Amino acid sequence: MTQEPHPHSDKHEFRAEALSLWRITFAPATWALHFVLCYALVSLSCIHGTPPVAITRSALILATLAALAVIALLGWRSYRHWAPGRTGRLTHPYGTPEHRHHFLGHAAFLLAIISAIGVVFVALPLLVIGGCQ
Amino acid sequence: MTEHENRSPLPFPPSEQALAEPVPEDLRAAQVARLRSAWARPKGWRYWSSVNSSQVGKWYCLTALFFMLCAGVMALIIRLQLAVPENDLISADRFNQLFTMHGSAMMFLFAVPMFEAISLFLLPALLGARDMSFPRLSAFGYWCFLIGGVFVLSSILFDVAPRAGWFMYPPLATQDEGPGSDIWLLGLSFIEIASLAAAVELIVGVLKCRAPGMRVNLMPLYAWYVLVVGGMILFAFPPLIAGDLLFELERSLDWPFFDPTRGGDPMLWQHLFWIFGHPEVYIVFLPSIAITAMVIPTVARRPIVGYSWIVLSAVGVGFLSFGLWVHHMFTTGLPSLSLGFFSAASEAVVIPTGIQLFAFLATLMVGRVTMSLPLLWITGALAVFTLGGLTGVMLAIAPFDFQVHDTYFIVAHLHYTLFGGMIFPVIAGVYYFFPFFRKRMLSPRLGRWAFWLIFSGFNLCFLPMHLTGLLGMPRRVYTYSSGLGWEALNLTSTVGAFVIAAGFAVFVWDLLRPRRNQPDAPRNPWNAGTLEWAHDIPVEDWGVRSIPYVTSRYPLWQQPKLLQRMDQGRYYLPDSDEGARETLVTSVIDAKPVLIQRLTGPSWIPLVAAIFTGGCFIFPTFGLYWPAILCGLLAGGAILIWLWTATARPPRQAEKDAGLGLSLPTYASGPDSVGWWAIWITMLGDATAFSSILFGFFFYWTAQAQFPPPGAAHADGVAVAVAALALIASWALVVLARRTNRLQRVGRARAALITSTLCAGTGALALALAVWPLDPTAHVYPAIVCTIALWIGVHTVLGMVMQLYCLAGSLTGKLTPHHDADLGNVTLFWNFLALSSLAACAVIGIAPRLL
Repeated sequence: MTQEPHPHSDKHEFRAEALSLWRITFAPATWALHFVLCYALVSLSCIHGTPPVAITRSALILATLAALAVIALLGWRSYRHWAPGRTGRLTHPYGTPEHRHHFLGHAAFLLAIISAIGVVFVALPLLVIGGCQ
Repeated sequence: MTEHENRSPLPFPPSEQALAEPVPEDLRAAQVARLRSAWARPKGWRYWSSVNSSQVGKWYCLTALFFMLCAGVMALIIRLQLAVPENDLISADRFNQLFTMHGSAMMFLFAVPMFEAISLFLLPALLGARDMSFPRLSAFGYWCFLIGGVFVLSSILFDVAPRAGWFMYPPLATQDEGPGSDIWLLGLSFIEIASLAAAVELIVGVLKCRAPGMRVNLMPLYAWYVLVVGGMILFAFPPLIAGDLLFELERSLDWPFFDPTRGGDPMLWQHLFWIFGHPEVYIVFLPSIAITAMVIPTVARRPIVGYSWIVLSAVGVGFLSFGLWVHHMFTTGLPSLSLGFFSAASEAVVIPTGIQLFAFLATLMVGRVTMSLPLLWITGALAVFTLGGLTGVMLAIAPFDFQVHDTYFIVAHLHYTLFGGMIFPVIAGVYYFFPFFRKRMLSPRLGRWAFWLIFSGFNLCFLPMHLTGLLGMPRRVYTYSSGLGWEALNLTSTVGAFVIAAGFAVFVWDLLRPRRNQPDAPRNPWNAGTLEWAHDIPVEDWGVRSIPYVTSRYPLWQQPKLLQRMDQGRYYLPDSDEGARETLVTSVIDAKPVLIQRLTGPSWIPLVAAIFTGGCFIFPTFGLYWPAILCGLLAGGAILIWLWTATARPPRQAEKDAGLGLSLPTYASGPDSVGWWAIWITMLGDATAFSSILFGFFFYWTAQAQFPPPGAAHADGVAVAVAALALIASWALVVLARRTNRLQRVGRARAALITSTLCAGTGALALALAVWPLDPTAHVYPAIVCTIALWIGVHTVLGMVMQLYCLAGSLTGKLTPHHDADLGNVTLFWNFLALSSLAACAVIGIAPRLL
């Protein structure tokens, strides 16, 4: 990251860092997709009867594992981005590119954790509730 | 483009040497005089043409406060009626109007607008900006809010207020006679549009108007919350606007979206309402927590603990809150698996919500706390909100909810969350920020009185309601018989309500009493560290004297020379050489200066546009469609005049000195310009509304055994295909026009624009012809198909106006190869329109033949 801004610095930053501003929303977005998928498929199964609810349940449990894998990957990448082990810093209060960079990693990492918890929570009914009753 | 690329690197960040250089005394005085005259507030009756955020923010706050007091009076009448059994103070019908209006006004006329009002007021100061990027848009939003609010609220004086509950469930609300439901639908849609305008203004403000150097990790937490809440408004309000559209089409044109006898389904409204309604609760709650996040570090006299954690919880709550809506519908007979998902998500949202509260407690624990009035209100808030949160955890468990659904337990719960999560923190904010708003202090003695009255009155009123509910008293009954064990509890609640009212009377008196003899407040009375306390006393309307270079989260604590340098005009834009209002636009992530943005000044046009927009929404309530259409056209005309005369005009100089040796462009198009971001954000909301209508189509499909019904007439396939092709061609030509215009081939660009308008017209016409033979009153299938076509048709007409606007700009020299912001924005609009046209044509042309 250079110190000199460029007249079209938005585009520059977007190349360098925009992905990580979006990245902080990737994990919660995965949660949202998983949630919508659960809700939509179960509604279809319970109202139309196709696919049968047993199959929907198994498919959604697989989808849960997939969502968790995606979130784990995102979390791992943002952890590397944050790099608390390498920098030894847990907070990032200074106006430097490094601090901004690690902060975004930190926020993304925490959001990955909360998203994983959310996915597990939402998947629990699939395990404990049998069907549509 | 090329002119910038040859330039040497800009002198940013500024060197310590440059910052230390003093400004000569006479130059400084001249700068002050010029700035003052550029930002002078209009005198006399012209005062009402003001557009800067400090004025508009003040009107907005006071109007929202007034509406809240009105809704509070309604609550008092409700409590009086319920004080004793078999009371006949008011009629059942009047009672229905009162509780409907109490809820609607508190939500739509107070809670959400108050967030916008306070943010409008605070945000420029927090970010070190002169003003937000679209002052006239804020003013327009305010006038819409005022007109719509007065219209909706005054209906109760004429005994025609909506009376089906604040969520307007069909079929009760669709079949209700009299204009009540229409007043709710149209009046509040109008206000929702104002909310979207405010969301655009605030999001763009946070992303593009931060002081140079204020990177995303340095933003005041309030700004993070505004960003999250703005985003939530964009995804939460449009489903309601779409729902309102369907609802109003049913009421005025008899299109049966919610009528089960013709294939409709009342549940669709419940879904659309609560997809809005639940996030709405967090839209109300998060900004108030944001105020807490500003007050806590100040009273603890140290930076906040866990900045990233709070950002996490704000963003996390923002997402999770969209997975909760069905917990308002637990008793509607959905499959238990589906209930399980929403129950689980409702429990999960507690985690991020709790994290921010723990971060605040941690800050207080490790800081050196000074007890002050704002902190008193914050502690009240934490106590009350925690109780509301705990009953929330109980209610998220579906079987418990089955038991207490529609009882006073719910009333107790929601008031605990809203008082604790919104009222108390907002009042804390009023005490904390009053010296900034009014340059005077509020009375600590009256403040303590108000606190203890409201706090004890609140618990006296709402704590017994838990029990009233558990004893089985249903909500929304206008009276009850004696002998059910509810008498003493209800009487206690009524007494409590009047104690709250007494507390508010003290508070409002202190707020509004004349202050001519009172001394000025100290500049930074709480010793806070954030930029809003760099304000000027006595008041100056220029926002900041010069826009500082920020390198820390608490600049007033951590950058010791900052305040002095700001005052002496040693930072950016210390002058207004052209006598115009300007602010600095910076880049999204690292806040590097990119542009000097010319801001619009006082004008009547926002008011005129708001009056006509109001007419367009208000006349249909009484079935007066022609005046409404006329008003719509006049509103459109006013907005066009406003845009044409005041936005994206080619500047006199291509570059200007921004101070500290930094020379910046004065015109931008594409992602560097604020207008482009505004269109992007608006279209995101627009796309959400359109998706909600498409969701309706698929909702009918999942909820019904046969949708489309067997033998139903479909939209004409050929005409739909022609429409899709014509609209895509129109989009491609707009893109081509932008390219060729940039390459100086102005003639070709104009030709492309004309052709694109013709293509768009063809597309709209083909779409109309495709659905023309359908009868939307017969069944919900043709009704939803026609609605989708109508949506695209209206957007296409809008798109054609934009194409012609650019053409006119090109012909008159407003739009040139170098100054093509308008064309860039129109291209962005058409990108969205092209995508939604394709989706629409696929849904009405292909999907019914496959399903």
